[in-house]
Amino acid sequence: MRKVSARNLQWLEKELPILEREGILAADAVRGIRSYYRENTGGGLHWATLAFAVLGSLLIGAGIILLFAHNWDELDRPTRAVLSFCPVAIGAILSVLALVRHGGVARRESAGIFHSLAVGSSIALIGQTYHIPGNVPGFLLSWSLLILPLAFLLGSTGAFLIYLGLICGWSGVAQDHYGQAAAFWLLLAPALVKVWAMVRVDRNAPDTLLSVYGILFTLAISTGIVFERTVPGLWIVAYSALLSAAALLGLNLYRDREGWSNPPKTFGIIGIALLAYLFTWSDMWRDIGWQWTRNGWHYRTWGTWADATIALALLAGWIAAAIQSFRRNSIETITLAAFPAIATLCFFIGAASGDQSNGINAVIFNAFLLFYGVLYIVLGCRNTKLRQLNGGMAILSLLLVTRFFDDDFGFLARGIVFIALGACFLTVNLIMARRKKTLEAAS
Amino acid sequence: MKTIYLIVLGVVICVQLAVPFRMIRGRERILADGQLYRFKTQPIDPVDPFQGRYVRLRFEADTIACNADRMVELQRKQPIYAVLATDGQGFAYFSDWSNERPADGDFLKVRYQYADQDWIKESKSYVTNGIRIDLPFDRYYMDETKAPRAETLARDATRNSNCWANVRILNGKALIEDVFAEGIPLRELAAKNEE
Repeated sequence: MRKVSARNLQWLEKELPILEREGILAADAVRGIRSYYRENTGGGLHWATLAFAVLGSLLIGAGIILLFAHNWDELDRPTRAVLSFCPVAIGAILSVLALVRHGGVARRESAGIFHSLAVGSSIALIGQTYHIPGNVPGFLLSWSLLILPLAFLLGSTGAFLIYLGLICGWSGVAQDHYGQAAAFWLLLAPALVKVWAMVRVDRNAPDTLLSVYGILFTLAISTGIVFERTVPGLWIVAYSALLSAAALLGLNLYRDREGWSNPPKTFGIIGIALLAYLFTWSDMWRDIGWQWTRNGWHYRTWGTWADATIALALLAGWIAAAIQSFRRNSIETITLAAFPAIATLCFFIGAASGDQSNGINAVIFNAFLLFYGVLYIVLGCRNTKLRQLNGGMAILSLLLVTRFFDDDFGFLARGIVFIALGACFLTVNLIMARRKKTLEAAS
Repeated sequence: MKTIYLIVLGVVICVQLAVPFRMIRGRERILADGQLYRFKTQPIDPVDPFQGRYVRLRFEADTIACNADRMVELQRKQPIYAVLATDGQGFAYFSDWSNERPADGDFLKVRYQYADQDWIKESKSYVTNGIRIDLPFDRYYMDETKAPRAETLARDATRNSNCWANVRILNGKALIEDVFAEGIPLRELAAKNEE
């Protein structure tokens, strides 16, 4: 979609009837031009305008919170009580104006961000005035629930990202304070609905991309936090399914787009590389499975079921994404889809065999990560995409450097594997060079 | 469509204003009608990024004496009702607790923390003194320049057991009204020292 500024489009709308009247353009041509610009151009709002509007409201909102946090001794209690309504009132006026006057993206974003921060500062000021103890989970929950509608009504991505940050923070403090934060999934549900609606309208719009990144980061952070951790190692299944599902979703939704413009795929690929790297350590596979189920006052009896449900739900998401993606049948798709299958298999092997299979599981993931790195080097060379090539090189370098210094494997084993790998690379290089020469000679 | 959005936004704004209003009204009621108790305290001075600098209060009366048999079914962080009483010096302490809300008298809704036990060397066993509770008031917010000074002053006063908090209690809820060191409100003491 081409970017054309609203001012230019307005000018064109004024000019077209004039050109039609003067007989320069036929009515069909005018209709064609009009429909072309409606369907193929988007608002050309300069990114700097938006960035300054967002930064401005973010700084003013944060500044108000800090000013109130100074705790002015000169202000008595009734004055503070009245003052605590002011930020919300100002935020409300800005939001209403943005809605009534058909505010552009910059106005809606700045109103949404300011209003969201104002709600937090109001609650904080009352807490300060009345010396209310630091019930952080209660504070974050009230704040997030009060600003959630703003993300929908104003269509403000800033307010939406603040909401995601708040529920992510809530999951952490609630887990610590109450011992469980299962309600996080309820708080996440409206956010998922919003992102899905945005993807359906325009999946490539910058605010959609930003929101998709936001929800993926929230999921990646909070899934680990809200896990009850009663069954050690179940997180391996859950996280591998989540990251693989994200990568496959990216392949389905954004097709051949790469990098920033394909958030789920970028997130999934980087996540899988990091997770697979963790799995290359045998310690990660120690004491996992049902035989190590944890008990005690800080573990819930329903924790096992809750964790299993989350893991199964993520596995279901992964299967659904994999079925959709297998239509593409590329080596990349198969590798991304295979990751949770291997991790789940290793989890069950680890759980069934005690600690005997820790080393085998680590070797399996060393092999996986090696293949993963080589895959992206090959894809990068074939598609002449430097990003893929560098990514593959980074993965491979990380793996090789780590294993070179890793005491878990003997010097002899490491030496043989390194020499064998080096020989493989040189052989492949030689074969490729000869093939290239043959092809050149033939042409 | 825009009208519907505006109506919904109006409702949201009403709720956003109603929440602080309800918070303020509840606290003002406790300050106006609550029974006044004095709690001996020890202050320390931390910071909250949203609400500013405050003096954290550690209260001496954070245990309730009781037999080990009574606390068998208590779970950590379980809400219980602590019954309030006053000692000979006029300071508050908790005389008893129950799972049910007391029908009369002053009480406070608190959370059970853990059993307060002492290790007896001679018998090589633990003796249960009572239960440790989590009090629902522990912060006294102050001007950011005065709070560190107030903490030092209050710490000196604590050495002479001369620091306490006035707490208003109504229907199981509590609110700190003021904190005193050497018989002077902490704010005044910090301001006086500034001069």
